[in-house]
Amino acid sequence: MHHANHFYGHAHVMAEYCGLDPEHPPRIEGYLQHGWNVADGLGYGTPYVSGRPIFVWSEQTRRRAWSMGRKHSTVTGAPFLYLLRCYPSTDEAPREGTIWYPFHGWEGQHVHGSHQRLIDEILDTEPGPVTFCLYWHEFRDDKTRARYEKAGRVITHGYRGLRWQDTETRFLHNQLTELRRHRRVASNRLSSAVMYGAAAGCAPAVYGDPMRLAGEETRIAERIRREWPELHGPNPDPAAGTEVALAELGAEDLAGPAELRAILGWRAP
Amino acid sequence: MTDLKMIGGEMPDWSDRRADERPPAGGAVFAEILRRMAPAGGRILVAGPHDDALIDALGSRTEVVCLLRSETDAAALAERGVTVLCGTLAKVTDADRYDVVVALDGVDRLCSVEGPQLDWAEAVQVLRRALRPGGSLLLAVENELGVHRLVDRSAPTSAHGPGDWRPVGEFDEAKPGNPTRLAGRLAADGLAVSWLAAAWPLPSAPTLLATPYALQDGPVGALSAAAAGAAGTAYAGVPVLSDPRRLAAAAVRGGLGAEFAASWIVLAHRAPRPALDFVPPPVLLGDGPVVELAHDRDGGWVRKVVSGTTTPGRDTTRLNGPLPTGRLLEELLLAACLRHELRTARRLLSGWATWFGTLAADSQGSATVDNVLVDGDAYALLDPSRLGTSPGPATALRRFAETLLAGGYAHPWASATNVDSLTAVLAGAAGVQHVPAVESAPVPIPDSQREHEEQLRMLREQLADATTRAAWFEAELSGRDSELRRARLQIKAFSGKFSYRVAKLGAVSARKARNALRRVGKES
Repeated sequence: MHHANHFYGHAHVMAEYCGLDPEHPPRIEGYLQHGWNVADGLGYGTPYVSGRPIFVWSEQTRRRAWSMGRKHSTVTGAPFLYLLRCYPSTDEAPREGTIWYPFHGWEGQHVHGSHQRLIDEILDTEPGPVTFCLYWHEFRDDKTRARYEKAGRVITHGYRGLRWQDTETRFLHNQLTELRRHRRVASNRLSSAVMYGAAAGCAPAVYGDPMRLAGEETRIAERIRREWPELHGPNPDPAAGTEVALAELGAEDLAGPAELRAILGWRAP
Repeated sequence: MTDLKMIGGEMPDWSDRRADERPPAGGAVFAEILRRMAPAGGRILVAGPHDDALIDALGSRTEVVCLLRSETDAAALAERGVTVLCGTLAKVTDADRYDVVVALDGVDRLCSVEGPQLDWAEAVQVLRRALRPGGSLLLAVENELGVHRLVDRSAPTSAHGPGDWRPVGEFDEAKPGNPTRLAGRLAADGLAVSWLAAAWPLPSAPTLLATPYALQDGPVGALSAAAAGAAGTAYAGVPVLSDPRRLAAAAVRGGLGAEFAASWIVLAHRAPRPALDFVPPPVLLGDGPVVELAHDRDGGWVRKVVSGTTTPGRDTTRLNGPLPTGRLLEELLLAACLRHELRTARRLLSGWATWFGTLAADSQGSATVDNVLVDGDAYALLDPSRLGTSPGPATALRRFAETLLAGGYAHPWASATNVDSLTAVLAGAAGVQHVPAVESAPVPIPDSQREHEEQLRMLREQLADATTRAAWFEAELSGRDSELRRARLQIKAFSGKFSYRVAKLGAVSARKARNALRRVGKES
């Protein structure tokens, strides 16, 4: 099993949905898509070994992966949606404000752009209180955190983990809890978090300085904007945006626990 | 008249009933037509090799005369008390006229090696001349582009056996190539067609006859399923180029059922008007019991068992009544798989599994996906007469998994690459809990070269992938080995006592010094 299968506790969520021990998910014979992307579903730099199954979120991603020579993709839907099935909404808590995910990059990537300018734009746009959700390395950076703390509440969902170590296995659980507290979810780039937010009942929006990475080209960003205009802008139509987000997460294609176990090569408990 | 009359051109050391040759025309469907059309007090000429059961079906009310080129076959038939003309077709004169001429074996085995070799049109003209005015000709015409030919691994124009002294195949240009031309050609010869049907799956013993009208506007779902099923039975374990079940189903579904049939059976009469008051039904099915399909008053189709009511293993009473509507579950599932429509596949599978549980135990064995019609949410057995219990729905799912994998079909569960894992996935999708581990041998299916090629291609890919993976594992392993070595050294260095570490350091230094001295010694 590739260690990326454990990122964000994905394998753990799948095991929980399948009725298996969520603390010790069985080995997955293949690669789980661990984040939304416009490629073959695998993360950047994943050492894909030819012939191994890939478990992707949506049929569209499967088609794209096939066209890129990935012949062994199976659509499972996003683990986050399985989490939603495990913990259906009870609508007990009132929602307030916006949860905002400033684009962060990964470890080793450095965002070029002004955090402060972005914060100002966010505060000008958002109608209610804003919770900033920072990625772990930005959250641990006192300077960045302090800047966001001046503008609102600052949180992190945890460390996604690396090579099976230090994984916050309840990353998605934490994220779901936070999303359900907010009316809106927003980011300066279309990402998994925005789609998760839409799936969890928040009105999605993508706006603001996209904070490009050093040396990053804009072709993909422009392509994303063209393909999913329903999610872009400060106040897109929530129904249309949610529909698009659910399609990208594979909401129509979720398997039942028994089928998912068989797909992942897991035995019944 | 004696029972056996030599007319000239007969073949003394020949038989058209050899195991390596095409069997004579036969089967329950042909027998049913002959049983119903034999005119009381009339005369019938049966031209060419026909199964004994067909001769018997004509009954005793009619005077039957058979025409055979083989002396051996003719003598054997005469022994059974049948009047036989033995010789070649060209020797048949119009001195004797008949009310009905039957040539269900076609016309290519009517001429012997002796004398002129008549082409299709000439042969039909001889048969026509043998008819009384108003007399009827019941003729089978093999379709040179029928599915049976398309899947044949041998060429009809290659001379294989001693019977192929003139293997003309599709090069007999006098022979019509589609039902419309057939009717036109007969009309030009003064024969008016009163009924024409496409025959599936083999010319010699079709088990499905359907008129072009029924194939076009009739119960297409059931007919395409029946054509595929008939092909599946006829070609079980038979080497073919490609799977005739899919070609048959696609042809019927696509409105080409008549064009791609194995043969056409035509009933035509000589002017002025038919003396025979008989037209066969629009559809006849007969893989045991013979079933007739007809329009009912409401525009639906009803089926009625007309013979073979005591077929073993079948409860033929279940066949009487309305024909279920809809499409074959297997085709719908294959289509959903090819389109990667998981939702549709799951809906079909779970709907089927739920319905399966409501069936009587003796119907469950036949509720496989290739015998179930689906119309919306309604599931029904295409052939409800087959009796058999089943260990459970997983058995039928395993058969479908075999179909998907053996047929090389694209499907949405790419991670399931063998029958066991795919059966488990299908069972999960269907909501079937119990998946027995041990199963009986796979049901024989057409042995298709195209599917073999697909499997070969898949195996090559798997082998290449496995080789890549092995190399990747080796690289990973050596990386981990280095990591382990480093970790062990560190553990040793940091876990040992101080005196041990000093001694170890001393030993390493001493070894280095000794090696240095040895090198110096060698150099000097």
